Amino acid sequence: MFFRKPSREEQIHGGPPLEFERPIPPAPWRGIAVVVTIVVIAATTAWELYCRSLGYAPTLNDDEDLWTQRRRIVAPESIVIIGDSRAWFDVDLDEFQKGLGKRPIQLAMAGSTVWPALADLADDKNFHGTIICSVVPFLFFAPPGSPPMERAEKGVKRFHNQTPAQRVSEYLAMPLEEHVAFLKPDDLSLEALLNQLPIPNRPGALVPPRFPPYFQTEDRERRARMWEKCAEPGSELAKKIQQIWLPLFTPPPPPTYVPKDVFFAQMNEGIQKRFADVTAAIEKIRSRGGKVVFVRFPNSGGLKELEDRITPREKTWDPLLKMTGAPGIYYSDFPELSGFNCPEWSHLSAGDSVEFSKRLVPHLRAALKM
Amino acid sequence: MLFNSLTFIVFFAIVVTLYWGLHGWELRKNLLVVASYIFYGAWNPPFAALLFSTTCMDFWLGRQIARAQGSHRKRRWLVASVCMNLSMLGFFKYGNFLLQNFQWLLARIGIVYQPPHLDILLPVGISFYTFHSLSYTLDIYRGVLQPTRSLRDFVLAVSFFPQLVAGPIVRAGDFLPQLRHPPRLKENQFFWGLALMTLGLFEKIVLADTLLSGSADRVFNYAGPLVALDSWAGVLAFAGQIFFDFAGYSLCAIGAALTLGFHLKDNFRFPYAAIGFSDFWRRWHISLSTFLRDYLYIPLGGNQVRPFRAALNLVIVMFLGGLWHGAAWTFVVWGLLHGSYLVIERVFRVLFEAKQWASTLPVRVIAGFATYAAVCIAWVFFRAPDFTVASRMLGGMFGQHAQDDAILTTRELLQIGSVTAALIAMHWGMRDNTFETAVMRLPHWAITAIGSAMACAVIFTQGNSNAFIYFQFQGTAPATALVFPQTFAGGTDSWRSASGI
Repeated sequence: MFFRKPSREEQIHGGPPLEFERPIPPAPWRGIAVVVTIVVIAATTAWELYCRSLGYAPTLNDDEDLWTQRRRIVAPESIVIIGDSRAWFDVDLDEFQKGLGKRPIQLAMAGSTVWPALADLADDKNFHGTIICSVVPFLFFAPPGSPPMERAEKGVKRFHNQTPAQRVSEYLAMPLEEHVAFLKPDDLSLEALLNQLPIPNRPGALVPPRFPPYFQTEDRERRARMWEKCAEPGSELAKKIQQIWLPLFTPPPPPTYVPKDVFFAQMNEGIQKRFADVTAAIEKIRSRGGKVVFVRFPNSGGLKELEDRITPREKTWDPLLKMTGAPGIYYSDFPELSGFNCPEWSHLSAGDSVEFSKRLVPHLRAALKM
Repeated sequence: MLFNSLTFIVFFAIVVTLYWGLHGWELRKNLLVVASYIFYGAWNPPFAALLFSTTCMDFWLGRQIARAQGSHRKRRWLVASVCMNLSMLGFFKYGNFLLQNFQWLLARIGIVYQPPHLDILLPVGISFYTFHSLSYTLDIYRGVLQPTRSLRDFVLAVSFFPQLVAGPIVRAGDFLPQLRHPPRLKENQFFWGLALMTLGLFEKIVLADTLLSGSADRVFNYAGPLVALDSWAGVLAFAGQIFFDFAGYSLCAIGAALTLGFHLKDNFRFPYAAIGFSDFWRRWHISLSTFLRDYLYIPLGGNQVRPFRAALNLVIVMFLGGLWHGAAWTFVVWGLLHGSYLVIERVFRVLFEAKQWASTLPVRVIAGFATYAAVCIAWVFFRAPDFTVASRMLGGMFGQHAQDDAILTTRELLQIGSVTAALIAMHWGMRDNTFETAVMRLPHWAITAIGSAMACAVIFTQGNSNAFIYFQFQGTAPATALVFPQTFAGGTDSWRSASGI
């Protein structure tokens, strides 16, 4: 068969005529497709209504594509907010714009360390704007390979490597997320739901940490606002989240496969390196005329006690300001900034974030000599 | 763009609507070419130019092979085509790997050489489209195929978007004849294509990404020794993940092609029910194994040579097959392991095939499970980023570590166990059948219920567009990420004291 001469008709492409045709199972496929479509629409609608009845509302998901979208609009003289979720929740962009004369760009990311974004801006030769950098020491010193580092790196990598297809997907996803409540991968995806099954684990099993459930909304400028249900005094949701922060902010024991002294030496080395790297990055930004100010946003209750104990100010904040020479605003140094209560111990309610931002602006202006 | 992305859904809907809406066949083929280049360019537009230029070269070389008088001249043109294709693949995929190994070799003889770092961005799918294109000149040389007169048709055969970046490896000889006459829109074929795409997405998004990949990643990325249960669970999870991932992609490709009226062959046929390794390779990534068989194994002499030479041929083919998957020695070891498996199987066949007990059901079942276990052991080298991880994993699997950790949750163990059991049961249940026959035997209400459940699961899973594993066969082993507790660890007080805080 292979060596027979092709017919005249075949010669346009040559080769033997098509001999392979996929079998199609005989079934009323159109009818099946119609029923499947109806079932899927009905199930999706029911799931959406159920999720809304639980309090979930449509909002954007804070993923690396949304971060990339904001990073893309950073201009040479922009005011940029970087850091962790406290800067993400506690900053009101309108108040900052009123007070600083320019609308800042929100690049802080929940559960992330600041280093990748800071390094990226330092390496951006065009950038000579202002950086407002949140400091939560436990996250600030997160080592390479840890989730806070990976989360931040994901955003920066996506900014540099985003494909046209990813960019289109991002624009298609936004209107969907703004209208559909169940699109919450961290809470309502199959994986998240399976994670919530109350199945006991083996004794001694090293299980990954639990993260707090949905308690914020986010807009296209990446302005996060705490869900009102969480901000209610004594709310069950807030209490639940408080109890999640404590183990999350408690360093786990050293791994079994690394000798303790080696491990702690590595940790110490990593922290000293972070101090040095941050100092060098800030120097780069300053050499181009840029400015950096550190901000310690409010925390409360048991989480404040824990943070003060494991990452005391005199061993983290003070040396950071000393080494970098950058100005810093520690909320508890100022009476007008320290009277706020974080409902779930880590972030301000949406209302308080506006007031806090208003009160923070004069301090920022002074620190930045504006 | 990825099949499991919003961009693809919109792209595909537009392409299918326009395709069946247009009247002229030439116009429809033009549309497919444009769509395929948009699909490819959506990753990195400049690489579309590279794809086009290599396609044009092979088109021209194919004509030269056909025109050349005498086998010597034909061979010269074929060598030119093979060199052109493999040098492209070699430069983009193996450039840094070759340099690193050259540096290592020089260091062994005392020469310190610091090679320049080649910041090579790898064109996605180059391993696949190189083989699509290469099959054309090879088949013309073999006399199986006449060169096409239409550059546009050849461009479409190489770049047809469903199979462009991760297979199946569709030979030009299988695709070009389908461009001769316009396909008619057949309702059942169209909906069956959509059903295959739904199944493919279900396998990828729900089974591979949601139920298995997280556990496999945690186990392979864990920097310490693991108990045997967790080690095996991680390997089984990866075995399931890579099957669902790649078979899912192939199903999407076959389904998408069907909706456009094109027929692509099966790429998987229940491989985890294979009895023996030659059976496994007749069921796993069939388009690659047949490609290697026809264009490498048979030209080397196949099994029509002395037994030792035939065994060596097998090992050479599997060595190159391993290297094709990625520029790392771990892939080579994976290939060599499979080569050794095939040789051992041959020896066993010679010794035991004639024995009556060898074909009894219990022996076949035991041989099937032994095949699966051996395939899983080979997967360790496929998934591990380096030999340190691979040896740690194998040590864990065979209980070599004195102080071992347990890291998987009970839920993860249950997920891996149930998905693996279901996977193996389904493969054994259907091993002597086709998927279409299995569907045919189901009552219509069951097809509807399963289809609805799969579609709902895909929507509710909210996949986050994870790339398919076979996209990673671009030069390096799968990316690794350390698990938080491993590195960011330390008791509260000790952490403070160590960090000077």
